Amino acid sequence: MNTLLEVKNLKVRYGNIEALHGISFKVDEGEIVTLIGANGAGKSTTLLSICRLPPPEAPRVIEGDILYKGQSILNVPPHKIVSDLNMALVPEGRRIFGNLTVDENLKLATYARTDGSEAVDRDFERVFTLFPRLAERRKQRSESLSGGEQQMLALGRALMSKCSFIMLDEPSMGLAPLLMYDMFRTLKVLNQEGMTILLIEQNANLALRFAHRGYVLDTGEIVAQGSSEELLADPEVKKAYLGG
Amino acid sequence: MEFFQHVLNALQFGSFYALIALGYTLVYGVLRLINFAHGDIFMVGAYIAYFVAVLLLGGEGMSGLGVSPGVALAITVPATMILTSLVGVTLERTMYRPLRRKGADRLYVVITALMAGLMLENGNLALLGASRKSFPELLHKVIWTFGNVSVTNLKVIVVVAAIVVFVLLEFIVSKTKIGMAMRGISYDKFAIPLMGIPLDTIIVFTFILGSSMAGLAGILYAMSYPILEPYMGALIGWKAFIAAVVGGIGDIRGAIVGGFLLGFIEIGVVAVFPSTLRDLFAFSVLLGILWLKPTGLFGVAQTTKI
Repeated sequence: MNTLLEVKNLKVRYGNIEALHGISFKVDEGEIVTLIGANGAGKSTTLLSICRLPPPEAPRVIEGDILYKGQSILNVPPHKIVSDLNMALVPEGRRIFGNLTVDENLKLATYARTDGSEAVDRDFERVFTLFPRLAERRKQRSESLSGGEQQMLALGRALMSKCSFIMLDEPSMGLAPLLMYDMFRTLKVLNQEGMTILLIEQNANLALRFAHRGYVLDTGEIVAQGSSEELLADPEVKKAYLGG
Repeated sequence: MEFFQHVLNALQFGSFYALIALGYTLVYGVLRLINFAHGDIFMVGAYIAYFVAVLLLGGEGMSGLGVSPGVALAITVPATMILTSLVGVTLERTMYRPLRRKGADRLYVVITALMAGLMLENGNLALLGASRKSFPELLHKVIWTFGNVSVTNLKVIVVVAAIVVFVLLEFIVSKTKIGMAMRGISYDKFAIPLMGIPLDTIIVFTFILGSSMAGLAGILYAMSYPILEPYMGALIGWKAFIAAVVGGIGDIRGAIVGGFLLGFIEIGVVAVFPSTLRDLFAFSVLLGILWLKPTGLFGVAQTTKI
């Protein structure tokens, strides 16, 4: 297995507050890896550091490195992380463009693609096959979608950007259980087609049942790691994150 | 008959306001920034047009290149729009972008815009002195008379230009990918880079659009009222800004409607009352509109604009 993403001894600061105290983890090609942990453990900070979003959102990396396919990406501008490296982030709260239609949201994600309209059309087909609900609502303003549909759109948008690596920040948040399982089933299908996935979840039980491996983050440090089976069986993890 | 004459004048003035208001509204829609330097970019546009025209036609002690007025006009319009947009982009890159990078509060960016405008006015004063410039004649005046109503070719050009610009902008913003990105930014700036879109490129494009419209307004205004002075952009800039707000700032149709509305109110007041009452009455009416609809005619509270 080739290592796709490697985070090495990452220390990150928001203003004067150190949010990550030197964390290390890696994601191999074709894997599903999850970062679990309580609210405020630094999970979202980790993703924002990888994507290097512009201030004021961006946490500042003060030490360590982030490698993608062996290359440091600390100096790659945020939009190039998506357009050149084919990574995608489905951010917390989905962040869809509510004033645009479903179609326009998906089209916008193809902004930097250079592989021609046929490939884009194929990806439209694929997104609408995965999420038929979106096809029914193509012309609708996306802020009128339900929470579940918005999450589909956020994932669909990531797929339209032609990514091979998706990072998801709390995709289950605010979803009814049925929709949540649907979403994870879709992610599983994508993974079987070759997509590498880094998943951040508060719902540790769900995340570990879905992922191959996991890391447990607690107040800016990684306190446990292992395969999902190991973590699910770990008495400490059980007690703290899996409800006994 | 006098009525039609007033309508024509109102359309002409409304066109100037609308062209300038579009620049305010585009930049606000994308950056939530009121670019108070915009009126002065209009002034700079008029001066750029003046220098290009003098260079081509001669005048002010210069021999010029001796081209015919028709050719000079055909060169001056695009040259002015391009050079004026460079001025707008320079302001964005040297003044607004560094503040944005540091995550500065919007208040400081607005103050910077005010200062940038004052610097343009006073920079012009320092470089060119206080004397007014008279704009060379680029267009042979043709007057068509219908009964008591007279229309000049220039008036028709001004109104047609405003309408063409409006249609073009509507197309860009609603149909093209870059226009989609502009609307996207106005909703969520954070999510734009996640789509692989370079935020700064879209912002620069917005400034190019807004400033080139101001340049176009500058040259058309200078052709209509051929006396240029450094403060010519201040009052008309404020008026256009107010027109944009009354129309619903951030909305392209709002800028056009607000601009023409202000033109009609001003000319309407002057038609009935002494002209000294023009601005007092005009702004009272606009205030009344805001009183009834604080978000402006096309504005929607707190949602996305453009």
